Amino acid sequence: MAEKPSIAIGQVMENRSVAPGHFLLTIRLPLSFATPIPGQFVMIRDPDRDEPLLPRPISVYGFQREDGHAILNLLCRVAGRGTSLFSRLNSGSTLTVLGPLGRGFTIDPDVRQILLVAGGVGAAPLAFLLQECVFSKPHSAKRQVTAYLGAGTAELLTGLNRFEGFCNLRTATDDGSCGYHGNVTEMLALDLGEYDAKSTLILACGPMAMIRSLDLLLRDTRIRCQVSLEERMACGVGACLGCVVAIKEGEGRNGYRRVCHDGPVFDIGEIHWNPPVEG
Amino acid sequence: MEADKNTVVPGRLAVDLCGLVLKNPVMTASGTFGYGEEYAPFCDLNRLGAIVVKGLSLEPRAGNPPPRIMETRCGMLNAVGLQNVGVRAFIAKKLPFLRQFNVAVIANIFGETIDEYRRVTEILTHAAGVNAIEVNISCPNVKKGGVAFGAHPDAAASVTEAVRGETDLPVIVKLTPNVTDITEIAQAVESAGADAVSLINTLTGMSVDIERRRPHLANVTGGLSGPAVKPVALRMVWQVIRSVKIPVIGIGGISTAADALEFLITGASAVQIGTANFIHPAATMEIIDGIEDYMIRHRIGCMQDLLGSLQTDG
Ligand SMILES: Cc1cc2nc3c(=O)[nH]c(=O)nc-3n(C[C@H](O)[C@H](O)[C@H](O)COP(=O)(O)OP(=O)(O)OC[C@H]3O[C@@H](n4cnc5c(N)ncnc54)[C@H](O)[C@@H]3O)c2cc1C
Ligand SMILES: Cc1cc2nc3c(=O)[nH]c(=O)nc-3n(C[C@H](O)[C@H](O)[C@H](O)COP(=O)(O)O)c2cc1C
Ligand code: FES
Repeated sequence: MAEKPSIAIGQVMENRSVAPGHFLLTIRLPLSFATPIPGQFVMIRDPDRDEPLLPRPISVYGFQREDGHAILNLLCRVAGRGTSLFSRLNSGSTLTVLGPLGRGFTIDPDVRQILLVAGGVGAAPLAFLLQECVFSKPHSAKRQVTAYLGAGTAELLTGLNRFEGFCNLRTATDDGSCGYHGNVTEMLALDLGEYDAKSTLILACGPMAMIRSLDLLLRDTRIRCQVSLEERMACGVGACLGCVVAIKEGEGRNGYRRVCHDGPVFDIGEIHWNPPVEG
Repeated sequence: MEADKNTVVPGRLAVDLCGLVLKNPVMTASGTFGYGEEYAPFCDLNRLGAIVVKGLSLEPRAGNPPPRIMETRCGMLNAVGLQNVGVRAFIAKKLPFLRQFNVAVIANIFGETIDEYRRVTEILTHAAGVNAIEVNISCPNVKKGGVAFGAHPDAAASVTEAVRGETDLPVIVKLTPNVTDITEIAQAVESAGADAVSLINTLTGMSVDIERRRPHLANVTGGLSGPAVKPVALRMVWQVIRSVKIPVIGIGGISTAADALEFLITGASAVQIGTANFIHPAATMEIIDGIEDYMIRHRIGCMQDLLGSLQTDG
């Protein structure tokens, strides 16, 4: 069960560039901050600035408790104004951290093989999941974990060190500078036949194009797959209905679900790719 | 014994809003606080003056396709399109949660036809636990109803009359700023039996992604809210206060106690906090505390002495 979220003042302990346009934030939080479940996210905002107004959603990349504090790691890509300002935060600056929020990944007891599929910074929530699998769950020994990580170039395979040595690892780059030359879904397609559909679970996070191609790839298989989705958010807590995705509801009915509250993790089969437009 | 003006007098912040006595003048704005439960981890709901819930229609509504929101300078655009669970599911699934708290619940309603407004009102009036009805005749993000009623005095009056005829609960009519003369609409709904008016709803706006040469919102246009709209909202509140006798609830860009005080001093009987909840989930709590601090600092014993205390020359 997810613990109760809170709003906390965090202090930036370290802000490190890990690749061009990518940075790793380490934030110290009060011990009372609830333990996140992999796939959950936080909303962060610089309280010393009037703008940007809205907090930005970022997945939990790492979380530990030490020396009377909770330590949160976030792996971020500069996408626009808000993330660009975060990338320039100095250690010692404060951030408000709202969370942990949303519904994370769920791993059924019958799963024997986990495949982690990530594009770019989509690796962040999966690295946290791996951390939890490796270090805390006693029954995880019976599970194989294989990660398929893709990015534009070798340099942009951020978070690689969080996978190396902890699971089987396959990498793909668009320019062929590391691992498979092509995208991560194509690489996965080559291996897919080797996995037993009944006991395999895919957990994925990445750009919408990757998720879409994954959906097409898995359509004829029985392999379960959960994906973490992104949408623009305002509140992050389910109140504004701003962050919805179209979901199939069965019997030809469709509806919108909140990424922040009903997700961000959804079963890939739930996503409605061509929803009817309603006024 | 004379009350010590430097201590918190119980009830110092209380306001009487058309017969509805509120602990303080700070409410949440419809559509920005869900059904209350979403913010319960961050706010003590018992401390709020009132909770105005997300707009309710007769049947559930799916709302507009995403993207629905876009941040703009000092504000945000939204085109949610009144997605909601429907009035019956609200009563069955959401209202019981709110009733656990000692807070007034105001149901914001919306219809595509006058009859729909009437039926939603009827259902809410028979459900125990709703303290007032706020009639949204001003949503810019739906194709039918909403703003069409809010933009014409006669149509606004017809909706108000229909709702008034169906309930003994206080009826608050929420006005749109997207009109030439808001006082005309305010006067029309006052004559039609509204107990109060609230304003403003969002200002229709637009924003374009120049890289993709597409609008940022799937709906093309959306409603602007947040700090950017505050001066416009305050001006309209000021105009409406001078043109009607019923209480006016101020809404628009209120983010701090100072913002709220500007509206109260101008003469709003209460305020609603919207977009600020997204920026800071405990904004309402800080605004209530800040108003109280201000009253202590200025030795103001009760709300009546503060409301409408604006001095203007001429
Ligand atoms: C649940 C969730 C988890 C996320 N986790 C991470 C993470 O771990 N690391 C990371 O780097 N990024 C993550 N993101 C994406 C991140 O939130 C956006 O990149 C960020 O909000 C952009 O803000 P900005 O001000 O920099 O850009 P803006 O100027 O606001 O926008 C720049 C571009 O980013 C897009 N964008 C804006 N907001 C979002 C959003 N909420 N989701 C997706 N795209 C958006 C816009 O459409 C635009 O194309 C996550 C998003 C969600 C919803
Ligand atoms: C995401 C969002 C949803 C809204 N939904 C409703 C609604 O359902 N009914 C309504 O009357 N107003 C709705 N509003 C308008 C607000 O209640 C308020 O009038 C407006 O946002 C201005 O106040 P603010 O600047 O404090 O946000 C909504 C506003 C936002 C931002
Ligand atoms: S961001 Fe407000 S409902 Fe999801």
